[in-house]
Amino acid sequence: MSIRSALEIATITDTGVVRSFNEDTIATEHDLGLALVADGMGGYKAGDVASGMAASIMVSELKRLLPEKPLTPNEIAEILRSSVGRTNRAIYQAAQANPQYHGMGTTLVSALFHDNRLHFVHIGDSRLYRLRHGKLQVLTQDHSILHEQVALGLISNDDAKISHNRNLVTRALGVEAQTECEAQDQAVEVGDIYLLCSDGLNDMVDDINIELALNALQANLPLTARQLVMMANDNGGHDNISAIVIKVLAPFPAVEQSGGLLSWLFGWLK
Amino acid sequence: MAKLVLSLDGDVLGYHFLEKDRFSIGRKPDNEMQIDDSSVSKEHAVILTVGNDQILEDLGSTNGTMVNGIKIKKHILQNNDVIDIGRYQLRYINQKAKPGVDPDRTVMMEPVINLRHGRKSSETPTQATDQVDAAVSVARAANDNFPLGGVKGLEGIHAGQTLELNRPLATFGKAGVQVAVINRRPHGYSITKVEGKKQPLINGQAIGEEDLPLNDGDEIEIGGEKLRFFMKQAG
Repeated sequence: MSIRSALEIATITDTGVVRSFNEDTIATEHDLGLALVADGMGGYKAGDVASGMAASIMVSELKRLLPEKPLTPNEIAEILRSSVGRTNRAIYQAAQANPQYHGMGTTLVSALFHDNRLHFVHIGDSRLYRLRHGKLQVLTQDHSILHEQVALGLISNDDAKISHNRNLVTRALGVEAQTECEAQDQAVEVGDIYLLCSDGLNDMVDDINIELALNALQANLPLTARQLVMMANDNGGHDNISAIVIKVLAPFPAVEQSGGLLSWLFGWLK
Repeated sequence: MAKLVLSLDGDVLGYHFLEKDRFSIGRKPDNEMQIDDSSVSKEHAVILTVGNDQILEDLGSTNGTMVNGIKIKKHILQNNDVIDIGRYQLRYINQKAKPGVDPDRTVMMEPVINLRHGRKSSETPTQATDQVDAAVSVARAANDNFPLGGVKGLEGIHAGQTLELNRPLATFGKAGVQVAVINRRPHGYSITKVEGKKQPLINGQAIGEEDLPLNDGDEIEIGGEKLRFFMKQAG
C-alpha cells in the first residue's frame, strides 16, 4: 500500500495565549511519509526564520536524496544525518551573514516512515511520542538542561515543576557550525499513533492527558490535534504550540511501492 | 547574581554571592561559606548552580537542612527561601528565581558538567534517562482549578449513575457509531462531536461541528444514551 493511503496525518500550529507571534514551523510531505516540527528561537523575527529554513531545507534535501526504491535503515539514517547537517550549516551561515539573524536557532524533530519502519532525528526539546496499545511513550530524549538535571539525579521529576531551566536547550540547529545528531529507527505497527510536538504542548499538558486525548479522540484525527492545542491554551498557552498526529492505517512495505504503476511503466519503457 | 544573607537569631551577620557553580557550606575552613559552630556539620550542605537553577543539597549533616521550615535533602532554591543550617538562617535572594512561568524565550547553552563525577552529562547512558519520560508541566495543576461538573445517566449504559467529570475530557457514545467528547475547560464544560453520521442532541437540538458550551441541566442524547449535565457548586 502506498505511504499516502497507509498514514493519516493531522497538523496544527498555534501562537498560544501569551506570545504575539508564532516561531514554530511544521511541515509534512505525505507522499514521502515525512513530518517535522521546528521550534525557532532568537529574537524578533529571527526565530521563525530559523524554523522556516529548517523545515524547507529538510524537506527539499529529503526529496532530493530519497530515491524511489527501498532503502536499508542505515541508508536512511545516513540521508537523515546529512540532511540535518546541511540544514544546520545553512541556518548557521544565514545567522553569521545577517546581523538581524545573529543568534537564531531552532529545534527539530523529524519523522520519516519507510518500509514499515519509522526513522527519526531530533535536536533540542521538540518531541516525538508513540501511542501503542493505548500507552503513550516518548521516543526522544530532550536535549535540554532540565532533562539532564533529572537524568543526573540532580533534581526529581516533581522538582522539575519549579525549575527555572525550562527553556534551556543544549542542542539547536544553526547555533554552531556543526551539530551532533543521531538517527533512530523502529518497527511500526498498524494502529500506532505518533505525535510530533513543540514544547508548548508538553510543557502545558501532562503526558497522561496527551495519552487520554489520543486514546479518546483518535477516530477524528483533526479534532485530536485541535484538542491538544485547546488543552495547552486552557492551561495557559505560554508558548507556541505545534502538533502533528499520525495514525498508521495499514502496512507500507517499500517493495510494493517499487512495483507500483510508475516503476512498472519505467521498466516497460526501458 | 544570587546571594545568601546569613543571620543568627534575627541579626544579619553578612552576605555571600553564589559565584561558584559548587558552593559549599560547613564548619571546616575549606568551605566556600564557613560557619564555625558546633550546630553545623563539617560539610553541611552544597548549592549547585545548573543553568538558571540553584539546587541546595544536604550532605548528610547531623542536624539536617531546612528550607522554609521543612527538612530537605534536595531543593531548587526560590527567591526569598529561608534555609536553616544549625542555629543559623540563610535567606536566598535571587530576583530571577521566582516560581511560576519563566517568560524568557528558549535559549541554547552548553550541556551541564556533572558536578559530582566531572564528566559531561551527554555521556550519560541512555537507559538512565528512561525514567524521565514524564512531562514537566508548570500547568500541571491548572485544570484542578477549573469548575467541576458531571453527568447523571438517565437512559442507556450509565442509567442511574452519577459521573464526576474531573479529567480534561471524557467521551460518550458508541465507538464507530456516534461519539461526542465533553471538555472540562477554564470557564466550564463544552461538548464536541467526535464521530458518527448523526449529530448528538442537546435538549433535543442537534449540535453542529463546533464546540458547544454546556449549561447546568442540559440533556445530552448520544449513542443510544441520555445524560443530564450538572455543575457542582463553585469552590
